[in-house]
Amino acid sequence: MMQIHCPHCGARAQAEFTYERTVDSVVTLDVAPEAAMKTLFTRNNPRGVDEEIWRHTYGCRAWMVITRHRVTNEISAVRAVGPEGAVTVEHMLADKSEPRAAPSVSLRDPPPRSGEDFIITFTFDGTAYQAREGDTLAAALLRNGIGLTGRSFKYHRPRGIMTAGVEEPNALVTVGEGGRSEPNTRATDVFVYQGLVAKSQNRWPSLSFDVGAVLGLAAPLFSAGFYYKTFFGSAKRWMFYEYFIRKAAGLGNAPTEADPDRFSQRAAFCDVLVVGAGPAGLSTALEAAEVGKRVILVEQDSIPGASLIRDPQGLDAAWIEATVARIAYLGGRVLLRTTASGYWEHDLVTLTERLTEPGQVPPSGVAQRLWHVRAGQVILATGSIERPMAFAHNDRPGVMLSQAVRSYIRRFGVVPGKRVVVATNNDDAYLTATALKAAGAEIVAILDARPKPAGADSGFAVHYNAIPLSTTGARHCLKSVIAQVDGTTKNWNADLLVVSGGFTPVVHLHMQAGGTLNWNDAAHAFVPATSRQNVITIGGAANPEAVLIAAPAGNPKKSFVDFQNDVTLADVDLAWAEGYRSVEHLKRYTTLGMATDQGKLSNMAALGRLAEKQGVAIPEAGLTTFRPPYTPVTMGLLAGAGARNGGAHVRHLALYDAHQARNPLWQPLGHWFRPRAYPVRDETLAQAALREARMVRSNIGMTDVSTLAKFEVCGPDAVTFLEIICATNVGKLAVGRGRYTFMLREDGMVFDDGTVWRLGENRYLLTSSTGGADKMAGHISYVRNMLCPQLRVSAVNVQEHYAGIALAGPQAKTVLAPLIDIEPPRHMSTVPATIAGVPARILAASYSGERAFEIYVEATQAAPVWAALEQAVTTQNGCLYGMEAMEFLRIEKGHLVVGGEIDGRMTPHDLALDKMLNKAGGYIGASGLSRPALSEPGRRQLVGLEAIAGVIAEGAMLIARDGETPQGHVSAAAFRIIEGGSIALGQLLDGFARHGEELIATSPTRGQTARVRVTHPHFYDMSGERYHD
Amino acid sequence: MTDLRITTLPAAPLHTVEIWSNPATTANRFEARTGFALPPMGHSAGGNALRLIRYEPAVWLAEGDVSALPDILADNGAITAIGGGIIRAQLSGAGWRALLMESGVFDAEDPTFGPGCSAATTIDHVPVRLFVDSENSCIAYVPRSFSESLLHFWRRAAGILPAAS
Repeated sequence: MMQIHCPHCGARAQAEFTYERTVDSVVTLDVAPEAAMKTLFTRNNPRGVDEEIWRHTYGCRAWMVITRHRVTNEISAVRAVGPEGAVTVEHMLADKSEPRAAPSVSLRDPPPRSGEDFIITFTFDGTAYQAREGDTLAAALLRNGIGLTGRSFKYHRPRGIMTAGVEEPNALVTVGEGGRSEPNTRATDVFVYQGLVAKSQNRWPSLSFDVGAVLGLAAPLFSAGFYYKTFFGSAKRWMFYEYFIRKAAGLGNAPTEADPDRFSQRAAFCDVLVVGAGPAGLSTALEAAEVGKRVILVEQDSIPGASLIRDPQGLDAAWIEATVARIAYLGGRVLLRTTASGYWEHDLVTLTERLTEPGQVPPSGVAQRLWHVRAGQVILATGSIERPMAFAHNDRPGVMLSQAVRSYIRRFGVVPGKRVVVATNNDDAYLTATALKAAGAEIVAILDARPKPAGADSGFAVHYNAIPLSTTGARHCLKSVIAQVDGTTKNWNADLLVVSGGFTPVVHLHMQAGGTLNWNDAAHAFVPATSRQNVITIGGAANPEAVLIAAPAGNPKKSFVDFQNDVTLADVDLAWAEGYRSVEHLKRYTTLGMATDQGKLSNMAALGRLAEKQGVAIPEAGLTTFRPPYTPVTMGLLAGAGARNGGAHVRHLALYDAHQARNPLWQPLGHWFRPRAYPVRDETLAQAALREARMVRSNIGMTDVSTLAKFEVCGPDAVTFLEIICATNVGKLAVGRGRYTFMLREDGMVFDDGTVWRLGENRYLLTSSTGGADKMAGHISYVRNMLCPQLRVSAVNVQEHYAGIALAGPQAKTVLAPLIDIEPPRHMSTVPATIAGVPARILAASYSGERAFEIYVEATQAAPVWAALEQAVTTQNGCLYGMEAMEFLRIEKGHLVVGGEIDGRMTPHDLALDKMLNKAGGYIGASGLSRPALSEPGRRQLVGLEAIAGVIAEGAMLIARDGETPQGHVSAAAFRIIEGGSIALGQLLDGFARHGEELIATSPTRGQTARVRVTHPHFYDMSGERYHD
Repeated sequence: MTDLRITTLPAAPLHTVEIWSNPATTANRFEARTGFALPPMGHSAGGNALRLIRYEPAVWLAEGDVSALPDILADNGAITAIGGGIIRAQLSGAGWRALLMESGVFDAEDPTFGPGCSAATTIDHVPVRLFVDSENSCIAYVPRSFSESLLHFWRRAAGILPAAS
C-alpha cells in the first residue's frame, strides 16, 4: 500500500485514495468527438513514469495529479487540481497551531518469565509431558527425550527437530483443538502453555509406526517432476489420482470448525522501525529513541535478546532488560512475539503479533494482531540463518544445526545429545562444542571441512578436510555418523550430529523492499546492497561469517536439500539433466523452496548445486524472488475484524427499528440491508411480495426508499453543471418541477438514471440509483473538480441526510393529503410540507406505475413521519411493501434498473431513451454517443417478453432454436401482478423490430425453459394515465 | 484500552459550507462577521454557538447556528444541511488515540494531532471525520448507516464488549 502526499492533508495511506485515470485520458468538455474518443481509448501505458489523477476520497475529497513510476511506485510529484477555492484558500490561512509534546506511549505487557522452574503440562500425540515455562514445544519435547516429531511430506521419512527458530522445516505439528487448531505449526515457534495439545502430522496409524513410510521404498518413482510425468491425460483421471495423492502426501489438516477467535488489525507510525531485538537491533533502537525519534522495535521471539540469549558476548540479561526499559521510557514501542512479515511500498511493513500462542484461548478474545507500520526509516537487524549440510540421511532425528543446539543448552537447559559429532565449515560451531562439553556431553569428533590451520588447538578431537557422508539412526536419535576424512571413511557412534554449513543472511524484507543483493564470497552468501526504500541492514545479516564450502560426497539420492518437500541433490541433478536451467524452473519442477518454510534452509544449497551444474558462480545462477509473508500468516489475520461478515460493515437504514418491528425478510443490497418483504402468518416470500404488489396496484402501499442516491446541487451555475452530468434537458425545469433523467459514461453508454428536481431558483435535488450511489458521487466530484472547476456550484451528497418514504397506489393522494394539509403535488412536481410536525419534501414520482409520492425528511426525524404515514396507510387497509414487490411493480411498468437493463453496454437508443436526450448536447457522453455504430439498428435493444408456455427465468438466454447462438438475455423476470402470467425484460439483437416474434428463453443453470413472445417493455399503463388524478 | 468511553452525542445541526469563488474576500467577510477566521486545513475554529471544522480544501463542516452564513457567502458559496446523515460519537479517555489506530490508516497517535485538529480518514473501511476537542477526547463524525456497526466495532476493540459479542 502506497503512501501519497495529499497537497492538503500531508502524507496519507493509499487506502484513503481512489485512482481515477491517467492525465492523458481526460476528455475535456470542449473537445471534438473524434479527438475525445481517441483520448479515451488510445492511451499511453508506459512502463515507467506516468501522470495519474487520484482523489483523496476518504480524506479531504480533493483531486490531485500524481507523477508515479508504475513499476517502483515512486511518487516524484503531487499537485492539487480543482476549483479556485480548493487551490487558493489554504495559502492565505496560516496555521497558527502550536506544536505539542508527544503523548506517552505505553509498552506492551512485560515479557513472560523465562527459565523459571514453573512446571507446565502439555500433551503430544495424546501423552502428557511436563515442560518449563518459557520452553518452546521443541525444547519441551527434547527435554522429554522425544526426537521424532513428524513424518516428511512425500516419503514419510522420520523427522526430528533441526533448528530452534522459525526456519524449522521438519518439526511441524498441529497445535490446539477444534476451530482453534493450527496445523503445520513449527514446534520451534510455539511456546508451551498449560494444557497445550500438540499432534504429529502426516502419519497413520502412529508417528512411530507409519504405514505411509512404505512410500520411501518407492522413492525412485517419486523423483522430481513426478506429477508432470505420470498424471497426464484426461481431467477425470487426474481427479481419480488426486484422491490418493492427497491421502498419501501432505502436512497437517485444516480445521473444519470455524475459528472462535478474533483478529485485530492496527496501524502505527514511527520514525524508526527496528526489526530484530538482538545486540544490533537493541543498540540502534535505543540510539534512535535517545534522540527523540518515535521508535518501534519488534522481535519474533517472546523475549528480547536474540543471539545474546545464546551467546551473551558480555551483554547479560540485565543489559537487555535495561535497554528495553529505556526504549519504552523514551516513548518507544517494543513488540515481542511479533514477526515483520512483509515489506511493502513506501516503507510500509506488516507485523504479525501473536497475542496468544497457537491453540491457546485468548483472554481478550483477540488471538493475533496485524500491524501496518509506516516508518520513516526501517532498520533490519534480522541476523542470519544457519545452513545445514548435504550428506546421506542428513534428515534423521538427531541431526541438528549448531546454533540451535547452543540455544537449547543455554536458553532452555536442554542438552539434545550425549555423544556428539560436530560437522562444520566455520569457527562458530566450536562454540557449540564448548557449550556441549560444559553441559556434560561428550564431543567424540569435530569434522572441519577446512584444512588444518597452523597452530590450531581447540582441545577437541578435530578432523580437518572432513565432511559427513551418512548417518544411521534409532527412533529419536542417531546411532552413528560416517564421515570422509582426508579421503578415508571413518565411523563414530553418536546420538547427535551437530552441523554448521555456514550462514544465510535474512534478506527477505530487504528484497521485498525492492533491494538488491551483493555476493559475499568469503561468507558464500548474498548480503543486502542498495534499496529504493528507506531501509538498511545491520548486524549479522550484513556481515555473515566466513566459511569454506566443500562439495558434498554422500549418496545424492539420500542427501536432502529441501527437507520440507523431500527434495534431494539427485532431484536437482535430474531437473538439470531434463533441461531445467533457470532457478525458477528448478523451483517449480522440484517444488524446492515451497511450503511453509519457503526454502529458508534449502535455497542456498540448491543454488550451489545448480551453479555447479551450470559451471558458473552462484550469483550467475540466479535467485528466486522473496515474497511476503516471511513466515506463514493465518487467513483470519488478513481478514481482520471483518472475518465473519466478509470484511464489510452492514449499513443500517435510519428506519431500521420501524422495519424490524414488522419482522421483515432482510435483503443485502450492496452494504445496505433492506426489507425484501413483510410476510404475514405463514406466507412465503413470493406470496408476501405478490400480496404487497397487488395492494399497491389496487389500493396503497408504503416502502422505504432512503438508500437512493441524493445530491443537493446549488449555486448560480447549478443548471449548467446538471446539464453536463445529465443527458437530458434540465434548464427548462420550472421551480417545483422534476424530471426523469439518465447519465452517460464518456463512451456514450448509460450508467445510471434517476430524477432531477428544481427546489429553488439555484437549488436542485438529483437522485440516482442505490447501487450506483458511490460511483455517482465520484463521477459528480470528478466532473465538478476536473472538468469544470470554474463553475460556481456546490454538489453535496445528501444520501444519508434524508430518509425517504414512498407512498404508492391509487389511494396515495387520498392518504397523503390530510397529513400535509395542502394539495399533494401533481406528478413530477414537488412541494415542501410538514408531516407529524416534521419538515418534509414531497416529490410526486413513481417507480411502481401508480400515482406515488416520495417523502424526504431529515433522517434524525424520520421515525414519527414513518409512524404517521403507516398509521394512515393501515387505516386505508394498505400495507408495507418490500424490494421484491417493488421489483414486480417496476418490471411490469417497464422501468429500468442499474445492473439489470442498464448494464454498461446499452446506449440511450438501445433503451429507447434517445428521444429524451438534450438536443443541445454538452453533456458527458455526447461525444461518445455520436459514434454512428452506437445508434445503428441491429444492436441489443430493450424488449419485453411474455411467456407463451413455461415460466421465464432471470438470466435466461434468448434463442430461436435449440443449439443456436443466443441473441440476447433476460435481465429481469416477474409475474403480471393482477392478471398473472410470466413476463420479463430483456436485451435482444434488433429487439425493437422483433415485437411479436416467438423465441425460447432457456436457462441451463436453472434448468428452466419457456417459450416467449417479444413485446414492448411496458406491460402496464403504457400511456401513464395512472399517474394523473 | 481500559480508560475509554464511547458516547453517542445528541443530534446536532450540521452543514457543509462551501466556497467556490473569491475565497479571500469571503474569508475576510466571514471573519469580520463572526469574529474568528475560517480555520485552515485540518483545524477548527469558533465555539459552541458556531464551530467550523475544515476537512476539505474548499469545504468546512459547520456545527451550530448557521443562520448568518448565507449572507456572508452570498454568491461565492453555499451551505447544505447534512446533519441527518451523521452520528457524532465522542471517544473520551486516554485510550482514544489507540482506538482510532484499530483498523485505521491515519496517525492519530501523532503528537501534533491535538485539540482543535481535524482529519478525515477511513476506519475499518468506514469514512470517518475526526475532531479533537480536548487532550482526552475526540469526536468522530460517522455516517449514520455505518454508525451502529462501527460503534460496535469500537466497543469490542476497546474491550468494552465481552469477547463473544
